[in-house]
Amino acid sequence: MKLARIGLGLAGLGLGLLAYQVQIDNLAGTTPARAIASVAAGWAFLGAGLAAWTRRTRNPLGPLMIATGFALLCRQFRYSHDPLAFTAFLMLGELGYALVAHIALAYPSGRVTDRLERAFLKVAYATAVVFPLLILLFYDATRPLRYFDPTPRESLLLISGDADVVAVLQNAYAVLAYGVLAGALIALIARKWLRATPRARRVLAPLLVVVVAAALRAVFDSVLSFATPPPAVIYDNLFWWQITALIALPLVLLIGLMRARLAHASVADLVLRLGRTPPDGIRDELAHALGDPSLEVLFWRPDRNEFVDDSGRTAVVPPDGLERAVTELSHDGEPIAVLVHDPALRDDPELVQAAGAAASLALENALLHDEVKTQLRKVTESRARLVATADAERRRVERDLHDGAQQRLVALALELRTAERALGATDPAARVLASAAEELRLAVDELRELARGIHPPILTEGGLAAALESLGTRSALPVTIEAEAARLPPAVEATAYFVACEALANVVKHAHATRATIDAHRENGTLVIAIADDGRGGAHADGGSGLRGLADRVEAHGGRLRVESPPGGGTRVVGEIPCAS
Amino acid sequence: MRVVIADDSALLREGVARILTDGGFEIVAQATDAEELLEAVRTLKPDVAVVDVRMPPTHTDEGARAARVIREELPDVGVLVLSQVVEATHALALFSERPEGFGYLLKDRVTEIDDFVEAVGRVGRGGTAIDPAVIAQLVGRRREDDPLGELTPREREVLGLMAEGLSNNGICRRLVLSPKTIETHVNSILWKLGLAPAPDDHRRVLAVLAFLRA
Repeated sequence: MKLARIGLGLAGLGLGLLAYQVQIDNLAGTTPARAIASVAAGWAFLGAGLAAWTRRTRNPLGPLMIATGFALLCRQFRYSHDPLAFTAFLMLGELGYALVAHIALAYPSGRVTDRLERAFLKVAYATAVVFPLLILLFYDATRPLRYFDPTPRESLLLISGDADVVAVLQNAYAVLAYGVLAGALIALIARKWLRATPRARRVLAPLLVVVVAAALRAVFDSVLSFATPPPAVIYDNLFWWQITALIALPLVLLIGLMRARLAHASVADLVLRLGRTPPDGIRDELAHALGDPSLEVLFWRPDRNEFVDDSGRTAVVPPDGLERAVTELSHDGEPIAVLVHDPALRDDPELVQAAGAAASLALENALLHDEVKTQLRKVTESRARLVATADAERRRVERDLHDGAQQRLVALALELRTAERALGATDPAARVLASAAEELRLAVDELRELARGIHPPILTEGGLAAALESLGTRSALPVTIEAEAARLPPAVEATAYFVACEALANVVKHAHATRATIDAHRENGTLVIAIADDGRGGAHADGGSGLRGLADRVEAHGGRLRVESPPGGGTRVVGEIPCAS
Repeated sequence: MRVVIADDSALLREGVARILTDGGFEIVAQATDAEELLEAVRTLKPDVAVVDVRMPPTHTDEGARAARVIREELPDVGVLVLSQVVEATHALALFSERPEGFGYLLKDRVTEIDDFVEAVGRVGRGGTAIDPAVIAQLVGRRREDDPLGELTPREREVLGLMAEGLSNNGICRRLVLSPKTIETHVNSILWKLGLAPAPDDHRRVLAVLAFLRA
């Protein structure tokens, strides 16, 4: 492909030089400047076409522009005195202008789909070939052709020379091609503009200006053809008007196509920006990158088997048609979303796909993010449930021990004591019964301590303040308690209690403290429990598995546990437990 | 002396009824929950109600609440609460600064038949019976500048029995010591703790418990 383009470029260059020489040698009255300008117009189309083809390989506009360039260059060969060159290129020379009209209507997609526009182009191509052909049939060189010098040229197609017929044909052609068809082109472009969406208008704007300028020139030319004889100075101005428009047109088209190319570059930008965009901002970024404020993004929800809009409501994907265009985004065959956009974006499917791919990434990311968040929430909830279940289970075990086993053991001990008394103090069996009863009493004691460790009944019955009071009373250290008497949810009370319990046990075991304080109070819907001592400090939250387990427990309730323990400065364990009450 | 027993465990209820009957008490009613208890106490007006803290339906503190109601409605009815657990705060909340006719014992004390029967009698007569384990909790509590540190072991023992609600005679019998020795100990304790000699047992219990709770 690259070689082909280089070949085409070199061929065009050579052809241009040749065209220049043909004009200088054969067209009397021309100047080097005019000859160069004519060639330059062809080169402009050729160069712009090659550039467009390089960047937008699948867009037919590039090849079309290259063809136009060649046609405009070849057109100059009609001035040749050689009968074959004159005949051939007079006949085909006008095709260049039909191609220009074709390009104007095909921009920016490179395709003409509108029926009216297609019909127009058929007429234009036919006119561009038929009229020169007819002229060649009657041209006998008795009168010079328009735009030609007086030197006679020989038509190889001559059947019956008639200067009047040629004059009529030339005028008719000027009226039809340069007047009616150029006017129709202006109307079609205007129609295209009026129908265009805002995005398409931005793309069409420069073209509109240049094509209207070029076509107006043709219309003007057509009108002038009735003024006899036309003043030379006007023709000179018209020539430069035409050349300027013909050079400007490919450049404007190229800039337009390159701007679309810039839009492709903005996709790279989009990828970067989307990385920092929350899911609900994806649509706006995409709309900006594609230059389509009407863009809608509908997300596929596999769990609901339907598309939803960005606020989560069920959305119906419109048909892909004239009003709206639909581009599907998928990943691994799974739909992710559809883009409902301006049909003008069909001109640039690569852009939509590239931007869509970037958005897909971001959407997938967002979905994963959502999923992770949901899972985290589920895990948090299940952790809280596990703790709550464990708490309930502890309470149940404690109650079963007290109301079941303990009651029976006490009743049994009572039976033994009663039997012992009945036997009388001297009976040896009485002593056995007495020792059995004593053993039972010890067992009941142990059972009670065990049950209290599992879940102190006072926590359920008296609340956190009473349970902490009891805890302080049993401690081997003097403990000052400051606690609000208000009741809290059982899970919160239990968590706070076990934090205090474990922290106080650590104080007694490790802190070398002489006293401790426990403070429990509510602050903005959070229970703050702080256990402080005047010991040697230097404790770590992760040091004892006891504290780690407590931290887990506190975090399961959405709270946190921290340990402040500077060496030599005492230790302060603070638990913060949310308590919505 | 007339007694109402409230306990949801038939086995224990029967056992307690038997030892109290053997001890010379008249069991006028047995209740299985707080409602039955209150009804029996209101109609029969016994000398003592022996009440289990935990009773149906929730098995938490129905008995304790019923005990509070009885003490407010019928001050002449002694209430002896039996608890499965030792909670000084709990006991003292029920005690509510009014030691007359109040007892709080660990449930397994019923197996120490003589002490238990004696405690029921004491509460029935308007006296006080606080479980030694509760007192031990109060006495054993660590304090800064602990004034109990000045007491001899024997004096601590006597202090505990005073707090349980025993009179000097009761302490004599429990420790098998002469009344004169006990009186010496009691005076020494009161002096060391800076307490004024109390005119009666009720106020002595109050003073001692107030001191221990401080």
